[in-house]
Amino acid sequence: MSRPPAIKVAGVEKSFDAGRIRALRGMDLDVGEREFVALTGPSGCGKSTLLHLIAALDQPDAGTIEVGGHELSTRRDLNHYRARHVGLVFQLHNLLPSLSAAENVQVPMFEGGRSAHERRGRADELLALVGLERRHRNRPAELSGGERQRVAIARALANDPPILLADEPTGSLDSKAGAQILELLESLRERRGLTLLIVSHDERIAARADRIVRMLDGRKVGEDLRTFPRTPSVRPPMSPRAEETTIGGDRQGGFR
Amino acid sequence: MRFSTLVLKNLVRQRVRTLLTILGIGVGITTVVALGAITGGLKAMASDLMRVGGADFMVAQKGASDLSFSTVSEAEERAVRETPGVEQTLGVLLHYSRVGSNPFFVTFGVRAEELRASPPALVEGRLLAAGAPREALLGSDASTRLAATVGGTVTIEETDFRVVGIYRTGSVAEDGGAYAPLDTVQRLARKRDAVTAVYVTAEPGADAAALAGRIEEENPELTSVSTLGDYGDVDQGMKFLDAGNVAISVLAVLLGGIGVMNTMIMSVFERTREIGILRAVGWSGRRIVRMVLGESLLLCLVAGVLGLGLGWLAAQAVAQIPSVESFLRPEFSSELVLRALLVAVGVALAGAAYPAVRAVRLLPVEALRHE
Repeated sequence: MSRPPAIKVAGVEKSFDAGRIRALRGMDLDVGEREFVALTGPSGCGKSTLLHLIAALDQPDAGTIEVGGHELSTRRDLNHYRARHVGLVFQLHNLLPSLSAAENVQVPMFEGGRSAHERRGRADELLALVGLERRHRNRPAELSGGERQRVAIARALANDPPILLADEPTGSLDSKAGAQILELLESLRERRGLTLLIVSHDERIAARADRIVRMLDGRKVGEDLRTFPRTPSVRPPMSPRAEETTIGGDRQGGFR
Repeated sequence: MRFSTLVLKNLVRQRVRTLLTILGIGVGITTVVALGAITGGLKAMASDLMRVGGADFMVAQKGASDLSFSTVSEAEERAVRETPGVEQTLGVLLHYSRVGSNPFFVTFGVRAEELRASPPALVEGRLLAAGAPREALLGSDASTRLAATVGGTVTIEETDFRVVGIYRTGSVAEDGGAYAPLDTVQRLARKRDAVTAVYVTAEPGADAAALAGRIEEENPELTSVSTLGDYGDVDQGMKFLDAGNVAISVLAVLLGGIGVMNTMIMSVFERTREIGILRAVGWSGRRIVRMVLGESLLLCLVAGVLGLGLGWLAAQAVAQIPSVESFLRPEFSSELVLRALLVAVGVALAGAAYPAVRAVRLLPVEALRHE
């Protein structure tokens, strides 16, 4: 019996402004455990909306979203879900300005049942993991854009979630810092066995993903699969064959 | 980082606003404390007046608007004295007049023989002698303020009295006033054959409450006063004082509450995006409420402590005014401290309730979009 996908989105609809803006129109998406999926498409195509729905920051008008085999609409503990099952990284880091890097990383842990001592230790450990062991006392205003995004990634991993969702994580960074963040995400994914769903315009991210899902006008319009999975542990949900390089898309061949 | 650290940091980041809010609420609590201490002092004085001569209770005219207006005739006084179960009585005519800088100098008109049965503690000299109309016993505070000692003279409404003794009872009104012969005080007060109140001591083993009830029953024009609650029956001023105290305190608390609500609404509104972030990383609505209430509570408790300090200073300052010091000693009871802190907590909860609800009702995604 095959394991369920880490994320399963089926027929999701979402409108704003009393139905005048249809952000998602019957969106379908499956993401396998430990898979790295890049969600691409033009601005306004519904990528971020979909990410927010998967992160349970908002609710779909129709359709279902299952994460880890549980449908979100039936969960009563969405706070617990947001705290423990998904880590979220935003384009603009969204750190709390009055707190130091270490304190920002500790913020999600208040819902994790850890003592103050444990929270401090874990924050130091995570900051070391993202290469900021010497910056734990600095406030966001004292950090570079890349460093802030590293802190945001460390915060997203605070409660050890199996899924990391990132919305344009390199969008506000220069190319060098963007490349470093991408390397960090890949490295974390490999070392911690994370499922990675990234919304991005960044071709470098797309180039490193196991699969690219392309969206247009609130729908999935294509998928590109890598020829060879980057990590043998990846379990794509659609039993892809290595030869199936393009599904409904215009991109040919594998990556790298 | 502890949760309390986060709460503290949220307040410290808006230093000026936080300080102004603390000051605003602090002034409100200062009003509550200062008024409470002053009212408490006046009540303590009233309480002292109920226990002159160590009596079990006081009997005065029912429905008097002020104790000084109470009139108990000599016939009524005699009826009280002859009630079975009464060991002794002390008929006292209270007469208020300006003496020196004290506008409320109390002269206790008493019969020398009755005073001898329950005398105030003498510091110096002797008690009043029977049949000596111009003798006076002076309270220790009055003696100091008037620089009058035994053998000296004190003038009350153009009548000179020779000071024959100095006493100290611990009562502000008694120690700041004087005992003088009843006949002379009746003449000064233009109240012939009457006293203000009769202080009753029950026989050993007698039930004082039952005795007071019997006296009231047999003398419908009189009422017994043994507690501060009863005092309002013979002094409407105390009721007005209490009502004024409550009204001003409520007003002060309301203004404080509006200040806190304003601060917390501003704070929550400005941090809408941050609250969205907290929700996005898994914070429950309950934790958000705890954070907002925690900030408000901390703000108000600091203001409460500040208000206690300022209130104490304000009441002390009022008590230093020459015309006030002779009859008022502010009372700072543990009940007053508790009331001030409860007011602070009440203001905090009332002021933060709406901002907390608003913070929780925000959809995370909407909060994150907030600029």
